[in-house]
Amino acid sequence: MTHSLHRSGPIESQKNDFCWFMYQTKGKNDVNIKPKALEFIAAAEAVGSENWGDVKTGPKTQYPIETIKDRITDKSRIRGVFTKRDQVVDFLKQIKAKDLGMSVVITGVLSEVLPACKESGVTPHSINYSLGVWGKKDNLPDDTTLSITTMCGHHMIPPKYVQHMIDQVRKGRLTEEQAATKLANFCYCGIFNQVRCANIIEETAKKDNE
Amino acid sequence: MTVINKDLCTGCGICQKYCTVDAIHFVSDEKKCTIDQNRCTECYVCLRQKVCPKGAISPIELDNFYQQFQHVISDPVETHGVTGVSGRGTEEVKTNDVSGRVIKGEVGVAIDMGRPGMGVFLRDAEKVAMAVAAAGAELAPQEHTPLAALMPDLKTGKLEEECLNYHLLSVIVEAKCKEQDLKQVLQALQKVEKEIDTVFSLGLIIRTDEDGQAPALNCLEELGIPYPYRGKVNVGLGKPLSLD
Repeated sequence: MTHSLHRSGPIESQKNDFCWFMYQTKGKNDVNIKPKALEFIAAAEAVGSENWGDVKTGPKTQYPIETIKDRITDKSRIRGVFTKRDQVVDFLKQIKAKDLGMSVVITGVLSEVLPACKESGVTPHSINYSLGVWGKKDNLPDDTTLSITTMCGHHMIPPKYVQHMIDQVRKGRLTEEQAATKLANFCYCGIFNQVRCANIIEETAKKDNE
Repeated sequence: MTVINKDLCTGCGICQKYCTVDAIHFVSDEKKCTIDQNRCTECYVCLRQKVCPKGAISPIELDNFYQQFQHVISDPVETHGVTGVSGRGTEEVKTNDVSGRVIKGEVGVAIDMGRPGMGVFLRDAEKVAMAVAAAGAELAPQEHTPLAALMPDLKTGKLEEECLNYHLLSVIVEAKCKEQDLKQVLQALQKVEKEIDTVFSLGLIIRTDEDGQAPALNCLEELGIPYPYRGKVNVGLGKPLSLD
């Protein structure tokens, strides 16, 4: 799926939002991937990846890291999120040095991602460019809700639940971090950026209370 | 199908907040919740999140191929049987450095129907597939993309009649064209976007130069399409590396 590509919200907010992926190719390098997946996870953890997971188990916001690692199979998909460009650079340097032969994808705002590639010494091969949303947009949720729901590329986050979480923060029943973690748990892949989400919820709840 | 057992449902309405496509309704006469079977995409979010305190929501066996297709595509935990890929079942740019699916001089077109969050009836996916096929794009075969399994003729993009009223959380119409044909494919999409009852998110997959630039996108300005600022960058570390 085009998954992490079509996130929305103010560009400045998206500049602190990078997804990382390890991919195996069917019939080429998709057997016994676990040792390589563990190398990716180690590199991501070393630079402080805020969230990561495996679609077959779930995100680290919901499951113990060791459980996710134990359950890795050849059908797993390992991916996660960074909130700083420096993390992307360090991660790519490590992965390049490990020379694991798996496909690596970084998604984000291109004015941030492409310089990070250059700094880490990797050369872009192909890019999937987002041309945004087309068609009948009248029934889409509001922009704030979309900026949160689109952080799960498979759209597992119900718009009404986002509004419920914002409401809970507004009423003081949850902190923005608690609400963001609850939302992150819907995204099995682990690419939901709960740090960015907490910021969006905080700003929205504050605005609504003014 | 996913259903709500009326004997167990107390009508609390908690489940409504958990539906990705707003398909759970409260029926005031009965004071119970019910799932609109025409809109439910079988994404199983309500089941996985165990949202019903009374355990009233349960799945019923998916007893035909189209229902199974609907569920497998709408629920990313599932792995698609033919492509062997989980999520929405396609690899698009993710492994292009190894697969070489989109080579220099070509543009991959990934039309993520129903996204963000609106869902898509396959009749609308068919309209879009037929529009890009008529504009000269080559639709991807079923070894690469799940929707092609419902497409007897890749030349036209027409889908099997029996599947058209199924509602999915999203599904990708995947194709590719020559760089010189990109303009007419985009023009076809500009026309068909007015004829569908949902949305799609559009991605263009391009073999870039070493700086990540793509001259093929120069036609966007002429068509009034904003230049993209987001991208999914395959950084070329896969092996064996496709140099095409």
